Amino acid sequence: MKKILEKLQLKDVNVGACAGPDDWFEDPAGEEIVSYNPTTGEPIAKVIQATEKTYEQVLNLAVEGFKAWRVMPAPKRGLIVRDLGEALREVKEPLGDLVTLEMGKIKAEGHGEVQEMIDICDFALGLSRQLYGLSMHSERPSHRMYEQWHPLGAIGVITAFNFPVAVWAWNAAIAAACGNTTVWKPSSETPLTAIAVQHIANRVMADHGLKGIFNTTIGRGAVVGERMINDPRLPLISFTGSTKMGRRVSEAVARRFGRTILELGGNNAVVVAEDADLEMAVRTILFGAVGTAGQRCTSTRRIIMHESIAKELADRIVNAYKQVNIGDPIEEGTLMGPLVTKGAVEDMMAALEKAKEQGGDVLFGGNRLPDLGEQFVKPTIVKMPGQTEIVHIETFAPILYLMEYTDIEEAIRLHNEVPQGLSSAIFTTNLLTAEKFLSHEGSDCGIANVNIGTSGAEIGGAFGGEKETGGGRESGSDAWKGYMRRQTNTINWSKELPLAQGIKFGD
Amino acid sequence: MDPKVTLETQIEDLVQKFPEAVGFLTRKGIRCIRCGEPLWCTLGELLKEEGISQSQSVVDEMNEFLK
Repeated sequence: MKKILEKLQLKDVNVGACAGPDDWFEDPAGEEIVSYNPTTGEPIAKVIQATEKTYEQVLNLAVEGFKAWRVMPAPKRGLIVRDLGEALREVKEPLGDLVTLEMGKIKAEGHGEVQEMIDICDFALGLSRQLYGLSMHSERPSHRMYEQWHPLGAIGVITAFNFPVAVWAWNAAIAAACGNTTVWKPSSETPLTAIAVQHIANRVMADHGLKGIFNTTIGRGAVVGERMINDPRLPLISFTGSTKMGRRVSEAVARRFGRTILELGGNNAVVVAEDADLEMAVRTILFGAVGTAGQRCTSTRRIIMHESIAKELADRIVNAYKQVNIGDPIEEGTLMGPLVTKGAVEDMMAALEKAKEQGGDVLFGGNRLPDLGEQFVKPTIVKMPGQTEIVHIETFAPILYLMEYTDIEEAIRLHNEVPQGLSSAIFTTNLLTAEKFLSHEGSDCGIANVNIGTSGAEIGGAFGGEKETGGGRESGSDAWKGYMRRQTNTINWSKELPLAQGIKFGD
Repeated sequence: MDPKVTLETQIEDLVQKFPEAVGFLTRKGIRCIRCGEPLWCTLGELLKEEGISQSQSVVDEMNEFLK
């Protein structure tokens, strides 16, 4: 562990407010938080949290940094983001390991997350030459009308523990290519990965003589988070977290007419039709429900299975769960690590009590694994008599609810009945069923897949969902537009002053 | 002896210091962590949002439970 920390410039005690290579801000009033390894319960290192004073220091430099960054041509900004990607390539191994150490996802997923950071930097480089605006034919003679996209300013990025570095990169790389600076508040469960990333960004910024572009303020939500969402110097807040917190963020930012990108809760289902390839479906369900110990926004939480294959599918999923190797996530061969906190374990157990009260039959798991550690649980499969109240709730843990349907209309109704709308999938070999699921009368989610699962999105697509998932889009496609302001421009190159709609005024 | 938890206790502190309080609240239909993260508010604010009128009695009961 010590070697990993050294490679990433982490110390026993780290400062949690930074705006550039020589701008780490420490306030004696800052409280320390300890980052614990969820696998062992042992402390990894400490972080001195940001205070009102150090938050202000960081914000001031982020706002100042924007003035220089916004006038740099976008393709040059893209080259600097490319350098960030190169720097991440060099530390993929230790940074991926740190993700595993600090939040408990398995090593392959930790490294995959860093790869996602690299991928989005590559994407942002290309994007930096493609920040296109439309041009329109003006109705007035000798006039030209077009639109251009300008950066917004310093952008607040608030991320969750489950993707402690990738979600920052989705936001920061795109925001930077667009000409914005970012101020990051990571989860208090994963402050060390954030500091490691800040060090990496600082090295790149030092090479270019820049500061205030990538900034971090680590602190409690009630202190730093509330300050950010109410701060008019942050015109956009990109928030990843729960629906309940997203509502609070949305209301606070809307009060000051700021913008939000919200990536909130999911309650993702896989519909398995009677003609599905069950082998493929089971492998996908296993990855979707057990991967990251069920702590992804896109984790598979519900299986809506045709009654004719329900028994066989349930048996196959149970058999697959029996093969899952649970243990230290840093070890090769482990498929599931611990939950992030003891509180998360309590939350899971309380949800399972409710599921049983509501008629659920636990087909597999349902228990803690104290021999492995306090935060280890068995991934759990619960057959439900219907889509009861608990199934409508997102429990951030490896609980998979199984339900049956009779026809595709019922499957889609069940699928869309929950308040969340992030990711969805159907397994079918019938073209008509697949198209129906993807159509406007099918899945109501932001992501809808056929014959692949609900989790494991690529960076090239826009990521986000509808309804209580918040409606925001991050990462690829044209999600960049959320980080810029659109300006419509009309230029009159005549000697006349014609008005639109043919209006005559004082002629 | 002073109670461990009060209406002014931040949920972030509650979850960190007394994780078993999460299950206690959830069984009462009150969820204080969502998506694995604690809410940014005090226990009193959360109970008010959840429409709990006898919030002090919930706190007292929680302190008994945490003994």
